[in-house]
Amino acid sequence: MPSDRRLHPLSILFNIGRQFGAIALPLVLIVVGRGTDEDRWNVYALVFLVPYTAIAVGRYLSFRYRYEENDLVIRRGFFFRNQRHIPYSRIQNIDAVQNVVHRLAGVVDVRIQTGGGNEPEATLSVLTLADLDEMRRRVFGTRAATAADTGTPEAAPADTAEELLHLNARELVVYGLVENRGLIVVGAALGLAWELAPSKLVEQYMGDQASRGLVHSLARLVGAEAGPSWSALGMGVLALLVFLLMTRVFSVIWALIRLHGFRLTQQGDDLRAEYGLLTRVAATIPRRRIQTITIRESVWHRVCGRAAVRVATAGGKGEERERVVEQREWLAPILRRERVPELLDRLLPRVDLRAIEWKPVHPRAFRRALVRRLIGGVWIVLLALVLFGVKAAWGIPVIALWAAVRAHLYVQHLGWAITGDVVAFREGVFGRRTTVAPLVRIQVVELAESPFDRRTSMARVRVDTAGGGHGVDVPYLPRHEADALYATLAASASRTAFEW
Amino acid sequence: MLAAAALGGLGVFLVVARPGWSAAILVSGLMAAGLVLFGWWQQAWPALEYRYASYRVDGNGLEIRRGVYFRAVTNVPRSRVQHTDVAQGPLQRRSGLATLIVHTAGNESAVVELPGLTHDVALAIRDHLLPGRSDDAV
Repeated sequence: MPSDRRLHPLSILFNIGRQFGAIALPLVLIVVGRGTDEDRWNVYALVFLVPYTAIAVGRYLSFRYRYEENDLVIRRGFFFRNQRHIPYSRIQNIDAVQNVVHRLAGVVDVRIQTGGGNEPEATLSVLTLADLDEMRRRVFGTRAATAADTGTPEAAPADTAEELLHLNARELVVYGLVENRGLIVVGAALGLAWELAPSKLVEQYMGDQASRGLVHSLARLVGAEAGPSWSALGMGVLALLVFLLMTRVFSVIWALIRLHGFRLTQQGDDLRAEYGLLTRVAATIPRRRIQTITIRESVWHRVCGRAAVRVATAGGKGEERERVVEQREWLAPILRRERVPELLDRLLPRVDLRAIEWKPVHPRAFRRALVRRLIGGVWIVLLALVLFGVKAAWGIPVIALWAAVRAHLYVQHLGWAITGDVVAFREGVFGRRTTVAPLVRIQVVELAESPFDRRTSMARVRVDTAGGGHGVDVPYLPRHEADALYATLAASASRTAFEW
Repeated sequence: MLAAAALGGLGVFLVVARPGWSAAILVSGLMAAGLVLFGWWQQAWPALEYRYASYRVDGNGLEIRRGVYFRAVTNVPRSRVQHTDVAQGPLQRRSGLATLIVHTAGNESAVVELPGLTHDVALAIRDHLLPGRSDDAV
């Protein structure tokens, strides 16, 4: 009989912290910021702690886990007992998250994910690093052995770790510049400032300055009958530029902290991503769990010659998923575009991205795409006519031309292909996206025709996978090609067995 | 009920806005036309929907065609069926009908519904689609 194990005793403290998390920050702020005149708050805060502590201790005492031959068994609950068996073969990921406090204490927050469910099947908070290593070894070690038994050639023993990608500071700076996360930082900073700063100061800056200074002058600028003064306009533009620059700078700082020392390694059949300066994240992605791979190139990516690669693994749906998957999906937050095929080669050895022959859509797709964009443009034109009168009419040809350029680029780049057991799809005008989905991962195939499609004898083919996100969704296909593609995809999906 | 609401609205309009005769007649006429159209749509649409809905079950899986103007063919391979439900509402039960609900591991098409089957047929299709038989194509 395998022996029961407990979590690390520090779990109690972390549990209190988490239970308390929702009200902890305001409380701390109250105690720290305004504690001098109202000391009673400290006492009240302690009263709040008592039930949380009791719950945390109870949780710790009742939580046991053990490794059986094929299952991970987790028992918990004091009054309502619960015993959960998670077969090793069903475990998709073992994610480990370490924030600053965790790292100081040398422990990790472990989340075990299987295919279904709305949230991680089990959260073990907290374990020591040695415990985590043992868990990885037991769970994935058994898997490698059983896979070898059934004769899967890919399941090599997970001994040597090979580095696929390492992001140095320079790449992280590029990442920060390309992905503008600055606004998040600005928002958070403003929120914090609001809480911390004395209210008079906030009022002075946010209320007075903002409403009377910035907003007012902006309103004057827009509404000016005699035309704006150039100096005011210059100031406005300058302020905007400074603001944009600042958000980018914040974005870079955010990237340097969040993705510090990003490393993607391959260990046998598993990929591992590790990153983070304050909160250290280590996510494991078994290669055979990958549902779709998406290569994203925004305009800025293309300017810098970079791309971002994301993978979608099958996981639960719902809120928890958003958080966990987002961390897990970062296969390559940023890498040089010429290195994309190399990385893809690791994931899908039989697919060569460079050799894909993209099939175009219907020759008349341009007209459909143009009409769509023109209809979008009509609203802008109408708005402009209402706001600025007839003199805004010169905008009509500009908008029409812009729509035509975009429609042309869109249709030209649109493409699909079936090659080496995958279906691939690409789209985008200035920012582009390429999605690759193995045929084995196809869940449902759909062929859709709108009335406009029928008039021009076109159709759309949609592929649904367990990964979600931006899937394969090919519009403007010639009807007969759509039928053929639909039949091929449906047939190859039904021929193969889906495995998690 | 909709007709009653429309008549009520018309009454309020006539009392509150006190329109001229021509305006009153125009509004009433438009409303009458709208009601007729709506009534026709109410009774004709289910028949149309029924005419354009069909399904096919074979060794490969389930295929459902639906939609009058916006048409779609959905294919669920048999090997991708996670589990299935046969659901009956009270009205369906009275007429011996059922809805077959197929769950897949997909994302947008995680739930594929096929309504309007007789209960026996729904059960038969369910049995056919359920995995775990030895004749599964693997």
